[in-house]
This record gives sequence, structure tokens and C-alpha cells, in this order.
Amino acid sequence: MKKNNLLYPYKNLLHLCCILLLVLPAFLFGSCVREESYEDNAMGNFEQLWTILDQQYCFFDLKRDEYGLDWEEVHSRYRNKIVEGMPESSLFDVLGEMLAELKDGHVNLINSGNVSHYWKWYEDYPDNFNEPIQRAYLGTDYRIAGGLKYKMFPDNIGYIYYGDFSSGIGASNIDDALQYLAVCDGLIFDVRNNGGGYVTNSSKLAARFTNERVLTGYIQHKTGTGHSDFSDFVPIYLDPSNRIRWQKKVVVLTNRRSFSATNDFVNSMRLLPLVTIMGDKTGGGSGMPFSSELLNGWSVRFSSSPMVGANKDALEFGIDPDVHVAMKNTDILRGIDTIIEEARLFLKNDEKK
Amino acid sequence: MKKKWLLFFLVSCSLSLAAQQLDSLQKHRFVTSSLLFGVGLSNNYDTYISPLEYTGTEIRVMHERMRLTKWGHNRISLQSLVQAHLSYCSNPADNNHLLGGLLNWNYGLHYHLPLTASLKLLVGALADSNLGFSYNARNSNNPASLRAYLNLDLSTMAIYHFKLWNHPYVLRYQLNVPVAGLLFSPEYQESYYELFQLDSKGNNLRFTSLHNQPSLRQLLSLDIPIGLSQLRVAYVCDIQQSKVNNLRTHAYSHAFMIGFVRSIYRIKQRKPLAMPAY
Repeated sequence: MKKNNLLYPYKNLLHLCCILLLVLPAFLFGSCVREESYEDNAMGNFEQLWTILDQQYCFFDLKRDEYGLDWEEVHSRYRNKIVEGMPESSLFDVLGEMLAELKDGHVNLINSGNVSHYWKWYEDYPDNFNEPIQRAYLGTDYRIAGGLKYKMFPDNIGYIYYGDFSSGIGASNIDDALQYLAVCDGLIFDVRNNGGGYVTNSSKLAARFTNERVLTGYIQHKTGTGHSDFSDFVPIYLDPSNRIRWQKKVVVLTNRRSFSATNDFVNSMRLLPLVTIMGDKTGGGSGMPFSSELLNGWSVRFSSSPMVGANKDALEFGIDPDVHVAMKNTDILRGIDTIIEEARLFLKNDEKK
Repeated sequence: MKKKWLLFFLVSCSLSLAAQQLDSLQKHRFVTSSLLFGVGLSNNYDTYISPLEYTGTEIRVMHERMRLTKWGHNRISLQSLVQAHLSYCSNPADNNHLLGGLLNWNYGLHYHLPLTASLKLLVGALADSNLGFSYNARNSNNPASLRAYLNLDLSTMAIYHFKLWNHPYVLRYQLNVPVAGLLFSPEYQESYYELFQLDSKGNNLRFTSLHNQPSLRQLLSLDIPIGLSQLRVAYVCDIQQSKVNNLRTHAYSHAFMIGFVRSIYRIKQRKPLAMPAY
């Protein structure tokens, strides 16, 4: 009987088919990968925001050591401020205040009508930049190459202002600017009030000021949800550009509003032999930001990958200049930019030496 | 009378010859291919981009080619199944959107187990390769996520031939389950800047199996004869999930598809055939 049955030789295989057909889908549907559930109300959105930061923000340990940040304590303190049915604008304010505890310019809560921000990293310090005065220095005959504004001062010092690392700069833009200024005795590269942008633009520019490969720092990323779950340090090198490279002295002007990608640019430039950093301490912002969102549709941005200097020194709180120079009120009243003037003097004196 | 006998002889000969020709047709030269288009519902989730599930619609195209081989006394068939889909989904608050896409190619063999004259089961294994993306325009340094994975799938299929109003129909159900594979994934919060510009050496190629990639693809199709053609209507249930590097993803699709089936008999011809002259 068994031998006459066509299927008999394959009975084991058939059993396997049946098991696959019946058991696997049941097993797979039982192991669904779904989102963590929160209620779409004031408390739910508060809990979700706190958890996103708790699992993904990268500077908890650094800020605990710096000023005693305790994220659990922040949770209990702000949870008491959440009231069911509170207006959206009040919820936004409370959540924005909670994020300000991180003291990080890269942390924002964003909805269609507002962006929460922490700007104490420059609001509590002198400006050291006066836009009308700087505009007067540029005059009306300055040249523009992509995001770069540049001109030659009468004392044969070149001046480049780059106000936004998000502004596009192509290789030809940099070539043209450097070629035009090549006859100058030195170069002032002004990145004051530059709040950052693309870090790729930072290395693209810095590559024009080195003739050899330089280790400029390291980056890490979080590998898990714990506050100390980080990858190994990944080295960041600055490779010399194979196009026009500047071979004379350079002074980079900074202030507290030189932030994020600008901080990264200053970190690279400070390691180069012909470069001097002058002005005020930079604003910091060394965490590469990631984005996330809440159930109610609000977006949140936060630092997720810390970058450190070549000596693994923290850059989050800013970089000190080689030469501290502050704008003098008496100069401002006379329409003089103290920092530009100091840089011109520095370059002229250096030329005489 | 002689003429009648001669006619009968000739007809018999020609019928006999035709029968011989039919018998001599080789099963492995029959190729069934189909091209289907469809729309469906999509649900995407990728914690690298957002902690929320995005839901929306998708368009999908599927090309299938299947033929018997000479192996196992014509009991082993070769299947090539290519699917591509694009989805456009929204977050629960409907104020942000996610664009997703995946190209999937399954290629492998099935062993045929006839249960009755009209029902057969197939069991086999497929190479399952996938390349796709998710893109969220609102994010800063994590706007997109690359999907690249290669799996070995176990596959089962049930094919049922039946007649309604004297017309032949074919009902088919197929289930593919990846059991082992390799999947590319950034680490938990590793940026693509770090991955591609700085040559980061993270754990980006991960071994996957049922424990961290519980996925399946199901296909239910019905072939309906229309004149000399065959219309195919199908339902695709595509459940792709992963849990690697502390990142969780899923892409659920339920698509309804329609298209035509084409059967071809391949002729072995070493010398190129001359084009007909007009």
C-alpha cells in the first residue's frame, strides 16, 4: 500500500512543507517589530521626548562632569510641570525649557510656529563683531565667489569673509579667491558670526592651507541606548587639496558665534603651522546633530556624535584663540574693527620679521 | 472507395505525426512569465530615521519567470521573481513624509510534489537580494537609510488547477521566508558621513536569521483565462523586519496586482534564424 502511494518517498519533505507553511508565519507574526507606544497627549509627548534624548543624546557624561547635569532629576522636575489638557504652546515652552538644561546649541524642538533654542553660548558674551563696521571694511568693491566675500586691503593684506558653512563653495570658487589674493602679504580669514553648516565645507576650505596630511581629531557615535555606549574613536584627517594651496601666513578671526562646522574649521586650522587663531573663544557645538520626532509631529534635533580634538580634548564648549582680542568700544564708536586691525598688524609685523 | 481509404490513411498518418511531435515537446523548454502592476498600503518604520511608523501608499511592479528544468526528471523548476516598489508615507501627525523604495530579486529552485492531478506542492530555496532606501527630508544628518541585504530563503508553494464553466483556472500561494543572510546597517547612531567619508570600521555587515530578521513574503495569485490570454490577479503580503545594531526597522506592504501571463516554448537554435523576407 505504502509503495503504491506516489507521495510515500517524500513524506518527510511534505512534513517539512507543512511545518513551514503552518508554523513559520505564526512565529513571524508573533515577533513583529513595532514602534514603542506613547499616548498622543501632553504626558505622552513629554515622556517620548525625554526618552529620545535619554537614549540618543551624546554629551550626558561630559555635561555631568562639567556642570552636574542629571537627566533623571530633570525628568522628575519637568514631569511635575506637565498638566493634561495644557495648551500646546505651554507644552512647547516646558519641553523647550527642559531641552535648555542640556546647554547645547544643537538641541532644538521645532513645530510649525516656533523653534526652541539655547543660545547662551553667545548671548552671555560680548559680540566681538559689528556687522555695519565689517560691511564698511568690505566696502562696495568686494568680490564674491560662492559663499566667500573677499577683497584686498590697501596695506596688501587679503581678507575673506565666510558667514555660513551652508553656503555653497566649489573648488573653482576657492581657486579664484586664493589666486586673486595670491599677491597679498598675508590673509585674514574671518568666520565670526558663522553659525555652522556643512562640515564637508569646513574640510574643503581647510585643505587649502596644508601641504601634508594632518590628524585633526576624532569622532565617535553611540552604539546603544546607554549614556556611555560609544564606538571607538574614528580618526579624522585633513588631506591637502590638489588644487591651489595658500602658502603664506593666515589669521582666522573667531567669536562666540563661530559655532558647529565653524568650530570644526577652527579646530583644523589651529593645527596648521602658518595659521593663527585670533579673536574670542568659539561657541563650540562639536556634536553632529541627528533628528527625531514626537507623536504630535514636533521635530527634535540633538547632538548625537561627539567630535574631539587631535589630543582627544573636548571641543563642545569652544576653542580658545591663540591671540585673545576683543572689540574696543572706543574703536566701535570710530567705526574700527579692533580684531581686523590687530590681525593686519600681526601679519604686517610678521612680514617684517 | 480507394480514395476514402487513402484519405483515412493520410489523416491517420498526420495525426500520428502530430501526436509524436507533442510527445517530443520538452517540458523544460516551456517558460511562463508574467508582468504585474499594482498598488497597495505601506507601513514603514526605521528607528535610524524616526521612532514613529509612517503609513501610506505604494506602487509595485513584479516580473516573474518560471520554468521546469531537466533535473530530477522534470520535477525541479527555476523561478526568477523581481519586484520593485516605491512608497510615499506620512507620520501620524501628517506633517512629514517618508519616501521609500526597494528592488528585490528572488532566484532559486523548487521541487515539485504532486498531491493529486490538480494540486501540487513545491518546496525549495531562493537567493533573495534586496537594495533600497528610505528618505526623510526633514532630518539633519540622518535623512536617509540605505537598505541592502542578501538572504537565503526557504520557499513553499501550492498550485491548484481547477475548472469553472469549463475554463481552466490556476490558483497559487507562495511563501518565502529568509532563514540566513547578511544585512548592511549603520551602527545605532553612526552617520553616513562617518561611514563613507571617514571610512569608519563599525559592525555594518551583520549576520541575520529568524531571530533578528523575522520576515516573509507571501503571494496569492489567480490565473484567469481570457480568450487566448491569461489574466493574473495577485495579492502580495511583504513583511520585512530587522533588529540589528539596536536599530529596529519594518516595511509592511499589502499590494493588489494585476497583469498578464505569457507562456513561451524556447527553441534551441544554434544558428541564427534568417529574418523572413517580405
